[in-house]
Amino acid sequence: MKILVAVKQVPERDAQIRVAGDGKWIDEGDLSYTINEPDAYALEEALQLKEKNGGEVVVMCAGPDRVLSTLREALAKGADRAIHIEADDLGERDTLGVAQILADAVKEEAPDLILTGLQSDDLGLGQTGVVLAALLGIPHATIIMQVEKTEAGLTVKRELEDGWFQQVEMPLPALLTIQSGGNKLRYATLMGIKKAKTKETKTVTAAAAAGSRAITLERVYLPEKQKKTEMLTGTPAEIAAKLVEKLKFEVRVI
Amino acid sequence: MVDVMLVAVAGALGKGANSPTSLLMMATLAEPVHFSWVEMALLVACVVASGGMFFWRFGPILRNILDSKKDVDFSLRPVGRRVWEFVWEVLCQAKVIKERPLPGLAHAFVFWGFLAFALVSLNHFATGLRLGFLSPDGYVGRFYFVFAGVWALLVAVSIAGLFVRRFFVRPVWLGKKVSYESGFIAFLIFTLMVTYLAAFFVSDDGVVVKMLWWTHTLALLVFLPLIPHTKHLHLVLSPLTVFLKRDGFAKIPPLHGDEDFGLSAGKDITQLISLQAYSCVECGRCTEHCPASTTGKVLNPKEIILGMRGYLNELGPQSEVGLLAESRPESAFGTTLSMEAAFECTTCGSCEYQCPVGIQHLPIIIGLRRGATNTGAWEDTYGTKLFLALEKNGNALGLSAMERDKFVTKQGFPIFDGTQEYCLWLGCMGGYDPKGREIIADFARVMDYLGTTFGVLKKEKCTGDPARRLGNDLVFQNLAEFGLKALETAKVQKIVAICPHCVRTISNDWREFGIAPEIEHHSEFMARHKDRLPKQGAAVGAAGETIVYHDPCYLGRYRDVYEAPREIVTMAGTLVEAPRSHEKSFCCGAGGGLAFLGEETGERVSHVRAAELAGTGAQVVGTACPFCNTMFRDALSEMETRPQLLDIAQLTARALPEKQAAGNGVSTTGN
Repeated sequence: MKILVAVKQVPERDAQIRVAGDGKWIDEGDLSYTINEPDAYALEEALQLKEKNGGEVVVMCAGPDRVLSTLREALAKGADRAIHIEADDLGERDTLGVAQILADAVKEEAPDLILTGLQSDDLGLGQTGVVLAALLGIPHATIIMQVEKTEAGLTVKRELEDGWFQQVEMPLPALLTIQSGGNKLRYATLMGIKKAKTKETKTVTAAAAAGSRAITLERVYLPEKQKKTEMLTGTPAEIAAKLVEKLKFEVRVI
Repeated sequence: MVDVMLVAVAGALGKGANSPTSLLMMATLAEPVHFSWVEMALLVACVVASGGMFFWRFGPILRNILDSKKDVDFSLRPVGRRVWEFVWEVLCQAKVIKERPLPGLAHAFVFWGFLAFALVSLNHFATGLRLGFLSPDGYVGRFYFVFAGVWALLVAVSIAGLFVRRFFVRPVWLGKKVSYESGFIAFLIFTLMVTYLAAFFVSDDGVVVKMLWWTHTLALLVFLPLIPHTKHLHLVLSPLTVFLKRDGFAKIPPLHGDEDFGLSAGKDITQLISLQAYSCVECGRCTEHCPASTTGKVLNPKEIILGMRGYLNELGPQSEVGLLAESRPESAFGTTLSMEAAFECTTCGSCEYQCPVGIQHLPIIIGLRRGATNTGAWEDTYGTKLFLALEKNGNALGLSAMERDKFVTKQGFPIFDGTQEYCLWLGCMGGYDPKGREIIADFARVMDYLGTTFGVLKKEKCTGDPARRLGNDLVFQNLAEFGLKALETAKVQKIVAICPHCVRTISNDWREFGIAPEIEHHSEFMARHKDRLPKQGAAVGAAGETIVYHDPCYLGRYRDVYEAPREIVTMAGTLVEAPRSHEKSFCCGAGGGLAFLGEETGERVSHVRAAELAGTGAQVVGTACPFCNTMFRDALSEMETRPQLLDIAQLTARALPEKQAAGNGVSTTGN
């Protein structure tokens, strides 16, 4: 089975994010980048499927040269080949635009299965995988916790709301968006890094962005801090009752 | 017959004891006067047979050692240190005696006796070929034979004592299986000495002297081929092993080339490791002091070494078969050389420190871990979590780096900008752990009080210590390179840290990638300024507390700092020593990355040590390492009455005036 994993590079979780001067994107100058977390789980799922069923894992990432570090890490963890889609203008493309350049690269590979994280840690749109499936005309399933290869295709476990799960059987080729936490991630090893040096990384150039965009980014801003302190008064019993009500209906955590 | 002779010797000595001169006059060694051609031919045949058998057995061992991989980083320098250690540890037997005084001294007598006997034995064989060069009638010969006679007596008594110890006292560390070969060899040595001594009491002609001569000769020739395949091989190898051992305590050698991931298979075993494996004398000192072995875990450092030897004997030094039991198809040489065992090591260094024959256990055990971790063969939920935390968050606790920023801001620690004297290294514990933060805050107060300027790095990641000791060279290298760059960019000249692990890793392990600025532990810093620090308790004549000090492995054995923290403790109260202290200190259980791994099997190391410390009756347990501190905090919390637990920084800071008017505005509590 040939599995293609589409990953994204995002700013590190601890990064101090600053909004760029024009308010349209973040200041990328001082940032360090890492693999998008759900994508790390997608890669892990792919590697485990390969270990069980054999085949090949190809990892793919679009972006400027800095994404090569993420590709190298994926190769170190066990991916067989990498594809770097050179594109410096991802910020100017919407989901459709990004999915389009991914689809162009996927077509040449014709994989049996495409895995990607269910959403990105930076934009959190959760659409790229789904749109990519639509562009390729293959079936997809989202928020996947488990994947099993069957005679006919796949059986996957989807996460629903409120602790419910759904089992879905689907044919191949297909696209799955993977939920974080379904597997245990592996650590990169020295041997992996050394082997990665000998693995192939193909570079393809993304087609220029199409003029029209379905979505336009208006403004990027940091969450405004709101600190509301409210003193609850009354007898302890009254206070407790008020607190429960607030937790239930205002904060909605219980 | 032997007993009768001993009585005769004792009687003769007893008689002569009143007048040593008369003993010397009377004591003339009898030597057979004539050897026939037949006897000479027989002697030559016996020598050739014995020597042949020795080399027949020793040859393959020598070949295994020589065929092992070269130690690329090996250098004979510093030769002075090597010569000194050879003189001290081999010739003086200092380590052997120091760690086990009575059997140690007995061993030393046997060893020195052997040295004294070298000339006698040479002459003995020469005599048999009519070439004797020491005459019992000459002045030199007479003196030397009596001199050797005194040694013979000491050897005979010592070897008898060691025999009794091995077969009747039976210390558990010598192993469950009684070694009959050792008993036989002890008997041979005893025979050698007795036959020599007896020759003082017989005449030069006659059957008795010939019989004694031949018994002595045969005992020696039987002994020789028994050497290579028993622990007595240390007679031949250990002087060399001690001289050649890798420079530096617990030194982890650098990896070389693209195919070197540590000790995964036989082909990775280096010449030094081979030599050390064959030198093991199976005394069990390593096991006796091992915090894992003594708390019921699988790891037994002696068995690790013997496992390596077994592997070399069976598969040889070029084998591709995995070293660890889990990666070998069949465990032909037992299950003692296993992944489970390798990852139970706290890297406390007791084994390596204790070893009298120069075996360096840590490069071997950590080498085995490297072989497993660097190739991904080690699968451990906690280990993986730790490595991912170090990769992603840059600290071993897996917290967001922003937590450190918040703490730094809250404490008002200035960022190091080149104007301050010291860079205060927070470390994972000092930057993220609540108790570690208390320690660092108190130490900052001490520095403020002394008027020493310091700053912290804007961004600091773990030194890589846990990754290094767990064999993850990739994570370690990335962290070391990050740290070196951060210190260089900030133009740091001097570093001070509260964690001995940080100090060790920065000053020693980072050297593979660059030279870090000078670093010292806060105990050293405070000891240097102790005259300006306030005294408390007994030091000012008040009824102070009793404080038991626990030597952290990475400060004591690893850095040789024992007195500095004690000076601090003495200023804060009355120092109490734990039963195991200084070089023999017992680990807290946290080292080697084990603080971050799962539950231990057997007893918890930390509980054993905490009970020992509390058992001294001291009111305070004084620590000098945030990891020891956190281990003991957990262990002590389960006791009903428990001593207070304080770091030496806290012991010092509590005597400082409440709040400094000047200084950096550090708050008095850590959180």
